[in-house]
Amino acid sequence: MPDIDSVRRALTDALGADAVLADPLSLRLYARDASLVEGNASVVVLPTTVEQIQDAMRIAAGHGMPVVPRGSGTGLAGAATPIDDAVVIVTSKMDRIIEVRTEDRLAWVEPGLFNLDLSTALAPLGWTYAPDPSSQQVSSIGGNVNTNAGGPHCLAYGVTSAHVLAVDVVLPDGELVRLGSEAPEAAGYDLRGVVVGSEGTLGVVSRVCVRLTPIPPAVRTMLLDFAAVEDCAATVSDIIARGVIPAALEMMDQGIVRAVEAFVHAGYPTDAAAVLLVELDGLAAGVEAQAREVEGAARANRVGTIRVAADAGERALLWKGRKSAFGAIARIAPHYHLHDCVVPRARLVEILAGVYEIADRHDLIVTNVFHAGDGNLHPLFSFDRNVPGTLERVLRASDELVRMCVEAGGALSGEHGIGLEKRDFMPLMFGEDDLGAQACVRAAFDPDGRMNPKKVLPDGARCGEFALAAAGTDAAAAAADALPEGTWI
Amino acid sequence: MDLIHPHTKADVAEALREASEAGRRVLPVGGRRHMDRGNPTEVDAELWTTMLDRVTAYDPAEMLAVVEGGMRIGDLAAMLSEHNQEWPVDAPSDATVGGVIAAGVSSPRRLKVGLMRDTVAELELATGDGRLVRSGARTVKNVTGYDVHRLATGSLGTLGVIVQVALKTRPLPAATATLVTSSGGIAMAEALLAEVPLPAAVVAEPDRVTLRLEGWPDEIDEQSAAAYAVAELTSVPSFEVAWPDTQNVVEATVPPSRLRDLVGTAHAWTALAGVGLAWLGAADEAELARIRETASALGGIAPVVRGSGGLGDTSLPAPEVQRRLKAAFDPAGIMAPGRFWGGI
Repeated sequence: MPDIDSVRRALTDALGADAVLADPLSLRLYARDASLVEGNASVVVLPTTVEQIQDAMRIAAGHGMPVVPRGSGTGLAGAATPIDDAVVIVTSKMDRIIEVRTEDRLAWVEPGLFNLDLSTALAPLGWTYAPDPSSQQVSSIGGNVNTNAGGPHCLAYGVTSAHVLAVDVVLPDGELVRLGSEAPEAAGYDLRGVVVGSEGTLGVVSRVCVRLTPIPPAVRTMLLDFAAVEDCAATVSDIIARGVIPAALEMMDQGIVRAVEAFVHAGYPTDAAAVLLVELDGLAAGVEAQAREVEGAARANRVGTIRVAADAGERALLWKGRKSAFGAIARIAPHYHLHDCVVPRARLVEILAGVYEIADRHDLIVTNVFHAGDGNLHPLFSFDRNVPGTLERVLRASDELVRMCVEAGGALSGEHGIGLEKRDFMPLMFGEDDLGAQACVRAAFDPDGRMNPKKVLPDGARCGEFALAAAGTDAAAAAADALPEGTWI
Repeated sequence: MDLIHPHTKADVAEALREASEAGRRVLPVGGRRHMDRGNPTEVDAELWTTMLDRVTAYDPAEMLAVVEGGMRIGDLAAMLSEHNQEWPVDAPSDATVGGVIAAGVSSPRRLKVGLMRDTVAELELATGDGRLVRSGARTVKNVTGYDVHRLATGSLGTLGVIVQVALKTRPLPAATATLVTSSGGIAMAEALLAEVPLPAAVVAEPDRVTLRLEGWPDEIDEQSAAAYAVAELTSVPSFEVAWPDTQNVVEATVPPSRLRDLVGTAHAWTALAGVGLAWLGAADEAELARIRETASALGGIAPVVRGSGGLGDTSLPAPEVQRRLKAAFDPAGIMAPGRFWGGI
């Protein structure tokens, strides 16, 4: 059993008292991320330099302590929830833009920098950082890297991985390595590519070299409303079939539209069964051509009205409706459980019907806002966890939802990650050898298994032996019962 | 030299399992288009993937094609173009899908179409010790588990054989144009890059610059007008990127603004402006050494892609992690030994 007091003392000696928190309130604050799962930390470290991250990692290694890296804590899958009295390394204080080199189409940033702050700083130069998760006002680039974050604009531009040229990573033993390169190719296996999306299980990302994207000269944002959900979903497929890849293609159902409209007053049509937010960008002439195709697809599918944002102000308002969806639903009930799974685009309608059916059966309120172009659903259950039995119903419904999406040829997560919440569903998608290989990737970086243990892979997935525990068969209980000891919902 | 020519992915796994047990060294071979990449390797057998050429699934509406690793690029392109789509890599038509992925080759049009590595949605690898390992998913977007396929991409066959992949396709552009200047150089290319919005490629050579435009017809007009304001250009019918006509060609990559310094000392070169990649002719070992020294000083690498010379002795980041990965996938060390960076 590691001596927690001596770990705290060593960290305080090395990093200074300002950088180390161990009081009960702080430990409680950092005991969870934005998921439902709560764990426990033994000490929280707030480094301000790469060297301090290395010091903290060496001390943790010396004491055999598990380490959980954390950015803003907006993750929804429990990847930043500490377990086993872990040392939590929070990168929030490292939030500088180190350098911007538009001539090389790159910028170096610290991991704690907020996503939106980077794009705001780049905008006057005519460049942007393309990934734009809905949490972008408060989520950090380091966290985005660790979850391989998406966002509405990833339909045309690709997810975080396509925009990360290199990462500096502090390995579990404290060694600092640069993976990837400012140049377009790098020597060796693409370790950068596996660190992106690794949910803090391979090391601590201490610096990020991001790819800059030129801001397109023209943008058009359109809001389309439909009297039938099926028509809305069919429009999504038809737009793609016409060879148009919109910058964003977002669908919202009536429940979420009503919540959002009451919240931001963007003029969303509350009587529509579903709305589609379409953003086109590129050269002015190209945007015009794409808009003709989008209108054609929408009219062929009985669109109601097509509202085109007249100026930047109106565009911002339409997007505010989309991006504040999760704030808006707080009006429905005090708690929510937000899902994230991906299905083939062509099956959106049937999956959506399935989502409503599951919610009905478990007597839950569900609203839907999602990246329709990517087939990435975000069903959102609203509930009050203080009402006895409610949380259990939410978890049971969630379980059915995940299975439905995977059975439809989809994936467990499109952008939120696996963390604790979905690790026991991994055998739904992967066999023993697949999970064994994934365990090998992890072990190659972290032979002692101290980096964010028990996340992503189910218990029993091991490199070499391929001993995998029986997959959670009875679902219902799985979500709650399979949680590691020391965590609770 | 023995030949292994399997019919199915299970056969591939079986053959590799046996080879591992026997300590028989294997080089995976597709269309023989990327054979000069990597360091020289001595093997006992070649494993030909070319009979693994089936289409598992192709749904144009999902923009995903699931094909076996030995499928020829030309066959894939023909199938996709029937639905006005492409897998944007611009590899020779007799190269194989698995070969292109293992070689880690991206399109010269990458300013527009992105990197090849980001188009591999799912990949199944027959590992050196004969397991079939799948990662990723057949969806546009996916963050489920570790991206083992990222390691296979660019691995030069040293972890296993790529037996099946799900590829993200994209719509073929409605219109294209290829415009060529009458004078060359990096400065001319950078001037075009600065003035022409969102080009697909700006290819610089000593005596000309080729501008590739792809998009909607009106867009091409707008871009062309911007280009004509910078230079005199002639339209040509097709877009081809030619490497220097030399026996040895190095593919050097540096941060984009350092291209000028990279090609400065070379006698023959073709460069992708805005990307930071140049193919340089290396007449002899001395010139190869000079190119490598320059690329390294500029923060890049310079592997040989045609002729001899291998990858060079660039130091590997996290070498222990790289070696552990190799050992995990190919414990007997039979897959193209020594071909990879760092002698892996």
